[in-house]
Amino acid sequence: MSDPRLSLLFALADDELILGHRLSEWTGWVPYIEEDLALSSIAQDEIAHARMLLDILSVIDGRVPDALALGRAPGEYRNAVLCELPNTDFAFTLARHWLYDNADDVRLRALQGSSFKELREAVAIFLLEERYHLEHADAWFHRLADGPVDARHRFADALGAAIGEAVALFEPIENEGALVSDGVMPRSSEDLLGEWLGRIGGMLDEAGFDQVLGARREPSTGEMVPTSTGEMEAKEAGDVLEPPDVKRIDGRWVHTDEFRGSGGRRGKHSDHFEPLWSEMTALYRAHPGARW
Amino acid sequence: MVKTVTEDTVREALRAVMDPEIPTCSITDLGVVHDVRITSEKIEIDLLPTFAGCPALDVIREDVEAAIRKLTSDADLRVRFVNDPPWTTDRISVGGREALGAYGITPPVLLGIGRKEARTCPYCGSEQTIEESAFGPTPCRTVHYCSSCRNPFEGFKTKTASPPQDAAAS
Repeated sequence: MSDPRLSLLFALADDELILGHRLSEWTGWVPYIEEDLALSSIAQDEIAHARMLLDILSVIDGRVPDALALGRAPGEYRNAVLCELPNTDFAFTLARHWLYDNADDVRLRALQGSSFKELREAVAIFLLEERYHLEHADAWFHRLADGPVDARHRFADALGAAIGEAVALFEPIENEGALVSDGVMPRSSEDLLGEWLGRIGGMLDEAGFDQVLGARREPSTGEMVPTSTGEMEAKEAGDVLEPPDVKRIDGRWVHTDEFRGSGGRRGKHSDHFEPLWSEMTALYRAHPGARW
Repeated sequence: MVKTVTEDTVREALRAVMDPEIPTCSITDLGVVHDVRITSEKIEIDLLPTFAGCPALDVIREDVEAAIRKLTSDADLRVRFVNDPPWTTDRISVGGREALGAYGITPPVLLGIGRKEARTCPYCGSEQTIEESAFGPTPCRTVHYCSSCRNPFEGFKTKTASPPQDAAAS
């Protein structure tokens, strides 16, 4: 059996790499210059953090960091599906940013106590830099929540669209039992999910956005496609995580269900992943080993 | 090992290596030089990366190697970046803070003391300034605005384990 630390490192590195790649798509297109610099800087930080994690991974795995970042098949990436979803619009980008950076803060703080020295050292550096991402995301949360009605509605809709896959950021890591018992992960994903729900639930409640977590969503039935006889029928729903159950119990938001099926942590990605992967790795695949 | 190379001569050479993006400030004053070890077999230099996403890191390493090669061309030289301890802006020397100012970048808040907005305007010296954005043209810079002389200016991003409090919390 492979080193269980690999699955944790791939999950952390791929979240940062894929979200960094998505955010970089905003460069040059953000409505104003300060925000263009902000999203581009955050993208640069995330990709740099992925590189630091891949440097650590490289020592265990044997492949060089570039090969790990760009030379894997799509099914080998372990990022949460949230990170690969298209930017869609500014509201969705900021909703994902807020959900992700609060989740990242929760897990990084826990990993400060990891028994894995190289990871612990990297995490100390990440926290010093991620602080600015979190401040930025929280500032936008308050600005949009307090903003004009249209901004508020669009942000609430975007949070609702992102929340299911955001919960799946905490889908258990492969071999998590071994990681927790070795102290590599001082706390389980489920434990971290509870803390994150408490944190964002409090902010959502305060902003009057409690419908984001409370809304019941119907499980996906799949897209309607024509059959050979011309009739329309529902395509089989993909093997992706359904929005997990989150309930308010004694005033606190808790995750009450198991994660069903499998998601990004098992290499099961949405249809949005392959186009992203194809673009991100195009140069590497055309010229393996190319250097700047 | 060439006899003339000592830790002192290596550190002296490192004091002349400037940050590629802030040419008034040496990497020594920035606190990037963590450790210098010299044995009969090799010279080892440990550097600390300022910001993980800084594209100048490779250039800094190459500049350090070139500076040491001027002292000794045949030594076994190992220059590497290490992650422990994490680099923070509290490592920037007094001279380094002055050098940043001389380049028009206001120095970071020290040891997390004081509000993050409290930067002195490099043009008019006013302290009536606000932080416009934590994200500037490079990962290590912030963007500020002076309410007195109405000029925008850049600051070095504060990176410290004891973060400055914002106005609401202080």
